[in-house]
Amino acid sequence: MALLEVEDLRIAFGSSTVVDGVSFHVDESQVVSLVGESGCGKSVTSLAIMGLLPKLRKSGRGGGAAVSGRAVFDGVDLFGLSADQMRRRRGADLAMVFQDPLSSLNPVVPIGRQITEVLERHRGLRGEAARKEAENLLDRVGIPDPRRRLGEYPHQLSGGMRQRVLIAIAVACAPRLLIADEPTTALDVTIQAQILELLKDLVDAEGTALLMITHDLGVVAGMCNVVNVLYSGRVVESSSASRLFAEPTHPYTVGLLGSIPRLDLPIHEPLKPIRGSIADVIRWGDGCAFAPRCDLVGAECVAGEPMLKGEAHAHRCVKAEEIA
Amino acid sequence: MSDNMTEDLTADTATAPLLAIEDLEVHFPIRRGIAIERTVGHVRAVDGVSLSIGAGDTYGLVGESGCGKTTLGRAVLRIEEPTAGKIRLGDVEVTSLRSEPLRRFRSKMQMVFQDPLGSLNPRHNVEMLLAEPLKVHGVGSKTERNKLATETLDAVGLPSSVLDRYPHEFSGGQRQRLGIARALMLRPDLIVCDEPVSALDVSIQAQVMNLLDELQDEFGLTYLVIAHDLAVVRHLSDQVGVMYLGKLVEEADSEAIYEHPRHPYTKALLSAVPQPDPEIEANRERIILKGDLPSPANPPSGCRFRTRCPWAQDICAEEEPVWREAATGHKVACHFDL
Amino acid sequence: MTIAKIERLDRLIEASVTARDAESGSLWRQSLRRMRRSPMAICGAVIVGLFFIVALLGPWIAPYGPTEQTWGGEVFLNQNIFPGPRAENWFGLDHLGRDMFSRMVVGARQTMLVGVVATLIGFAAGAVVGGFAAAAGTFGGRWGERLEAVIMRAVDVALSIPMLLLALSVAALLGPSLTTVMIAVGVAQIPIFARMLRGSMLAQAHSDYVLAAISMGVPKARIVVSHILPNSLGPVIVQATLVLATAIIEAAALSYLGLGNPDPGTPEWGTMLADAQRFLSGAPQLAIYPAVGIIITALGFTLLGEAMRESLDPRLRRQQ
Repeated sequence: MALLEVEDLRIAFGSSTVVDGVSFHVDESQVVSLVGESGCGKSVTSLAIMGLLPKLRKSGRGGGAAVSGRAVFDGVDLFGLSADQMRRRRGADLAMVFQDPLSSLNPVVPIGRQITEVLERHRGLRGEAARKEAENLLDRVGIPDPRRRLGEYPHQLSGGMRQRVLIAIAVACAPRLLIADEPTTALDVTIQAQILELLKDLVDAEGTALLMITHDLGVVAGMCNVVNVLYSGRVVESSSASRLFAEPTHPYTVGLLGSIPRLDLPIHEPLKPIRGSIADVIRWGDGCAFAPRCDLVGAECVAGEPMLKGEAHAHRCVKAEEIA
Repeated sequence: MSDNMTEDLTADTATAPLLAIEDLEVHFPIRRGIAIERTVGHVRAVDGVSLSIGAGDTYGLVGESGCGKTTLGRAVLRIEEPTAGKIRLGDVEVTSLRSEPLRRFRSKMQMVFQDPLGSLNPRHNVEMLLAEPLKVHGVGSKTERNKLATETLDAVGLPSSVLDRYPHEFSGGQRQRLGIARALMLRPDLIVCDEPVSALDVSIQAQVMNLLDELQDEFGLTYLVIAHDLAVVRHLSDQVGVMYLGKLVEEADSEAIYEHPRHPYTKALLSAVPQPDPEIEANRERIILKGDLPSPANPPSGCRFRTRCPWAQDICAEEEPVWREAATGHKVACHFDL
Repeated sequence: MTIAKIERLDRLIEASVTARDAESGSLWRQSLRRMRRSPMAICGAVIVGLFFIVALLGPWIAPYGPTEQTWGGEVFLNQNIFPGPRAENWFGLDHLGRDMFSRMVVGARQTMLVGVVATLIGFAAGAVVGGFAAAAGTFGGRWGERLEAVIMRAVDVALSIPMLLLALSVAALLGPSLTTVMIAVGVAQIPIFARMLRGSMLAQAHSDYVLAAISMGVPKARIVVSHILPNSLGPVIVQATLVLATAIIEAAALSYLGLGNPDPGTPEWGTMLADAQRFLSGAPQLAIYPAVGIIITALGFTLLGEAMRESLDPRLRRQQ
């Protein structure tokens, strides 16, 4: 059975639907990615699973999110939990690593305290025991001289170190699912390699499942078993990483891959970009949202809602057979 | 107008490079004190860089944040004052220009910024944005300026109907097109592109990179492209320089540097770039560098990279490696032949 | 031109058309549109609007002259008899038997004048000082930086003097009059405006579009005037609205302390409040009318200022 099963997730802010029926699942010790460009709904999806979206008030005002669908984690629908129950799960069963490590850490509290706080709340460790464990954790995420670092403040650390601290906090209670939202986007290439390596080691050693939110297909190729490509709030293609990169089926995935300059291709080969921008979009109900930017667009593309087809390698394109 | 310029440039190519930088240094003083500030040290953002770019070529400068690549780009345009060294563009020595001649000379060199929204004045509409460089250099009448604006918009793939609109009404990619159009208005010789695509979505990045390519041919431009993304730099550049802590560590034409990297830092950088191919990813040998970038205020002795270098020996701490030609047109600053 | 390029053009045109209806026009126009939807802005604008109408048309609205002692015989000071609200005098009579309503209405003009003129003095002088300091510091080289430091330390000193004390000293120099109050309150606002504009300009001076202007060879003076200044004014204008509210209160305080216009023929809310204090125990209504007037007006300006701040704030702009 899947560890996390997201079914027909819909998220709307006011009148704009950001996530429009997303379904995917994460199995135990699997690395699954949600990949897409800005505005595709990938980050909002992860926030919804963590219960971190602002709640919609009864009056309907104040910019809250209307969330529907199910996110079943270990047999329990997370959306059905009370705020208090969710708080107990967060950090213990599910943990999250964010893109910007500086703003995710409290600037006026030493990092040691920020780690022991989590240990205290979820594992009941106190005093010396908590401090020892925090030291262990920092050591495990590869921070040299952990004892001294415990007393330091976030601004005294480099970006890579901060991201390591955030990961230490996230794995402090051995969560079963770790959600990483663009964990390396703010970092330099060599530091990115360090962090990805660390995440991979943690997943291998602990059997933690990892849900990776990213825009970088390179990161996906190196890390993930299963890929879900999102466009305009829906999954347009979903398959194992090896099949997706070998035989991309949806024109959007093909376009994304063609847009990336690659180190292994002949130099100066012109890129094949996707035309237009994400502003060129039609509603999923009327046809394929990607149709205005698609090179293969035909009449059937705007003749109603395209469905997700296929089991192991699913795609949402009425012309997929033509491409293959 | 642009055609004449292209001819001039091609005539020059044989004799001298368009841009020549010699021993450029940009040091920022670190000041302490409340009432009376004392200089307690210097951040050596750029610390002795020499390079040259031929007319119509693209030079790609790569390195991680804090390596001084952005400062170098700004020093070339004299937005940042060089502490020492010489910059020559065409037959003009840019470093010796005083303020008014420099201001006039700026029409020859322009810049494209990383943040397309931040680099456009939010209170100016497209017409004002594009006309301003012409106005301040006294080019053309109002109708001529308008005509030039329309032409340039067309070149970057925007309709002239956008003239009365404001920057916030555009998407990220369209804004970057506007930024490029503005840099093109004076038909400059050199354009410094500082991370021209890193703020954009993947699919838009490719559009802008292709556009930069097209424009180079159309207007005979010379680019200095500054980026952290090796794949982007490789795609755009004829020649690539790798910077680390204010110095060039390797320079070669882009084919050579990606095929046979000679400096350990270049090797590590290349091996760290994630490739969109699971097979390559699974089989590739990764060089994971230890630790972070040392402070540019107090760089390590000898070779600056030695603190993170997997091949470091005793000599690396004692002697600074010379900038030598390891193969034809392939320069490297390392004690060893790796 | 290639076919792909033509297609892309069409696409972009299409995109521009769709984006247009959603958000168009300059930033000012957009802010105005946002403000029209804000209840706070509407409240503030209505109060401020009414105040201005009354201030401008006061003498024509008032049923009696402000100094007409029509009902002098009905007031007995020593017995604390002040006729209250009634059909012919909506707000009752003051200690000299004058119609309170007429005095309030006519007094609005002086009050407005004090607030507006004082704020203008503070705004203009502060903008000159702050703008000059910021321009010198940004583009004046090393000497400019020193000049900026000297100016700003002087501003800091001025800021550290209590506002009322500063205003009192100015008033003491010039003698009691309405002009004194305006100048005194205005002068006290100068350092605040100077600091605000300088801070705002320095923040803009480090933005990329200023860098872009420099790299294009735009002359320094033009960069300051056409790039930095227009983008720095937003927060300062908001501050001006808020200062208008405090200026009216400050002016009332100075008048209350006896530094206002001694001429009884031109009533002003602060002076009226000062006059009323003698009868506070017996006839508090004499103090309440001008006090409530001042409070409501100040509230109106504050609401308007806050709403403007919200509509100009780029962070809020992104959320909507």
